[in-house]
Amino acid sequence: MTGTKPSILLVDDDIDFLEMNSGILKAKGYRVSCFSDADQAWQSMEAEAPKLVVTDLMMKSLDSGFSLAKKIKSDPRFTDIPVIIVTAAASRRGFDFNPRSQEELEAMRADAFFDKPVSPEVLISKVEELLV
Amino acid sequence: MNDHGIRALIVDDELGIREGCRKILTEEGFEVTTACDGIEALEIFENDPHYSLALVDLLMPRLGGLELIKRLRALDPDLLLIIFTAYATIDTAVEGTKQGAYSYIPKPFTPEELLLAIRNGLERQALALEAKRLREEREKRLLEVASERSKCSTILKCITDGLLVINLEKLVVLRNNSAARIFPKASRQSVPFSLSELEYPKTDELIDEVLEGDPGPRIVSRELAIGKNTYMVNVSPVIEPGGETSGAVAVFRDITELKKLETAKSMFVSMVAHELKSPLAATEGWLNLLLSGLAGHDPEEERRMIERSHLRVRTLRILISELLSITAIETGNFELHRTSVDMVEIVREAVEAARENATDKGIDLTLNELLPEKEKTALADREALLLIFSNLIDNAIKYTAEQGKVTVQVAQNGLYAAVSVQDTGIGMTQPELDKVFDEFYRVKNEHTADIPGTGLGLSLVKRLIELHQGQINAESAPGKGSIFKVEIPLS
Repeated sequence: MTGTKPSILLVDDDIDFLEMNSGILKAKGYRVSCFSDADQAWQSMEAEAPKLVVTDLMMKSLDSGFSLAKKIKSDPRFTDIPVIIVTAAASRRGFDFNPRSQEELEAMRADAFFDKPVSPEVLISKVEELLV
Repeated sequence: MNDHGIRALIVDDELGIREGCRKILTEEGFEVTTACDGIEALEIFENDPHYSLALVDLLMPRLGGLELIKRLRALDPDLLLIIFTAYATIDTAVEGTKQGAYSYIPKPFTPEELLLAIRNGLERQALALEAKRLREEREKRLLEVASERSKCSTILKCITDGLLVINLEKLVVLRNNSAARIFPKASRQSVPFSLSELEYPKTDELIDEVLEGDPGPRIVSRELAIGKNTYMVNVSPVIEPGGETSGAVAVFRDITELKKLETAKSMFVSMVAHELKSPLAATEGWLNLLLSGLAGHDPEEERRMIERSHLRVRTLRILISELLSITAIETGNFELHRTSVDMVEIVREAVEAARENATDKGIDLTLNELLPEKEKTALADREALLLIFSNLIDNAIKYTAEQGKVTVQVAQNGLYAAVSVQDTGIGMTQPELDKVFDEFYRVKNEHTADIPGTGLGLSLVKRLIELHQGQINAESAPGKGSIFKVEIPLS
C-alpha cells in the first residue's frame, strides 16, 4: 500500500467500542472518524469520504446499523463502500442476527458481520480484505 | 298373612255390622277401628290418618256416607273406600263410587263376600299406588333431566371460551355466547347454520381434519388469529357409544394476553442479554487490545484501558444487583426493613455522598432543608431511600454539563415528605420523558454517548418508591434541565 492509508468511518453509541476500535485501526495507520449517532454519520458521509464503514447495530433503534448500511448501499455515490456491522445483540425472538450465508449477509446490505467484541486481528484482516 | 297389620276403619250406625266386621277382619289380621257415624269417623281419621281402607255405610245419622266418602277422599286420595249398602240404596252406592269409592257390598253379606271385596280393593289399591310411584319417579327424573339441561346450557353460556359443536353435515348445531362474539359475522344466525357462514376458512380446515381423519378420540390444536385476537383452538371428535364419529367440538381459548406477555418476556430477556453482554464485550475488547500490544505499551495508555474496563465491569455488577432487586420486587420477595427514618438526614447523606463527584465536574450541588423539625420522619427502609436519592442525584450530575447546578430540596407536602432533585442539564424531550422509568431505557444522543448507566436505575427507583406507597414524577425540557419529584409518606 502506498501513501496514506484510507479513512474509515466508525459508528457506535458505546464510547468504549468507538475508542477501542479506532485505537486498533489507527494503530494500523488508518484515518478514523468516530460517530455515536447513525444519522450524524450518514450526514457526514460525503465530507468524510470514507473507504469503509464499521457500524454498531442497536443504537437509537434496534436496527440503526441496518438502516445505515441500507442507505449507504442504495446511494450511487457510496454503493461500493464496504460496511461491517458489529453488535452485542446476539439474537432477538425468532430472528438470529448472525447471517448464516452470503445471501443473508447481502440481504443485510453488509459485507461482514461480527459479534462484539471483534478481536483486533479479525477486525484488521477483514478491513484489509475488504479494502483490497 | 299378607293382611297383617293393615288398618281398617269401619263406619256404620248398626252395632251388629260394626262388631261383625271387626270380628271377621281382626281374625284376618287387620287392625280395626270403628265409628258409628260420619262425624266420629272424620274425627278419628283427622287425628290419625294412617288407614289403608274404610268401609262406609251410606245411611247414617248426622253425616251421611256420601258426604263422608267425599271428605275422606279429599283427605287421602289413596284410601281404599268400600260402601255397605242395602238394595234400596244401590243407586246411591253407584253415586258413591263416582265420589271415589272403589266398590260396594250389598247387605246382607257373608264374611267371604266382605273379604273378597276388600282383597280385590287392596290389590287394586296396591297396583294404583305402584303406578303412582312409578309416575312420580318418572316425573322426578324428567325434572332432573330438564334441570340438568338448563344447568348445562347455563354453564356453556357462562364459559369464557368459545364453543362450537359441528355435525357431520358441517352444520353448527351448538354455539355458546363467547363463540358468537368471536365470530360476529354469524352472530345473528340461529343454530343450526352452515360452518362456512363463520367466514373463517381456517376453522373449517381444522374441523375437516378432525372429521375426515382417523376415527377415535384425539385433539387437534392450533393457534389461530381471529379478528384482532389470538386463539388456541382445540378440536376433538364427538364419539358415539358405538364408536362412530358424529361431529366435532371446537373450543376457542383467547390467548391474546398470554401472547403479549410472552412477547414482552422474550423482549425483556433479549434486552437483558444485550445489556449484560455490552459491558462484558467492551471489557473483553479492551483486554484484547491490551494483550495484542497494538496500541503500544505506553503505561498511561494501558492504565486508561484498564480504568475503562474497570468502569464497565463495575457497571455490569451494579446492573446485575439492580436486576436482582427488580426481580425480587416483581416476585414479591423484596422486603422493606422499615424503621423511623429522618428524611432530612437521609437526603443530606445522599447529597454528601455525591459531593465529590459534583465538585470534580465543577457542579454547584446545594441542599434546601425546608422540612419542619417536628414532622420529618418516615417509616421507611433506610437503605432503599438512600439508593433512591443517590440514584437521582447521581443522574442529575451525570446529565449536567460542567459548571451546571444541581439543587436538592426536602420539604413537606401535606402528609408527604417532598424531595426534589433539579438540574440544569441536557434535559429530555416529551417522548424520552415518557419512557424514562422503563427498564433499559436510556436516552441516546450526542450528549449521552459517553455517560455510563445500566438503564435500570430509574426503573428500580420508581418501584422502591411505590413499595413505600410514595410516588415519583419527572418534568424536563431539552437544554433546560430536569426535575424529579419524589413523595414519601411521613409517619
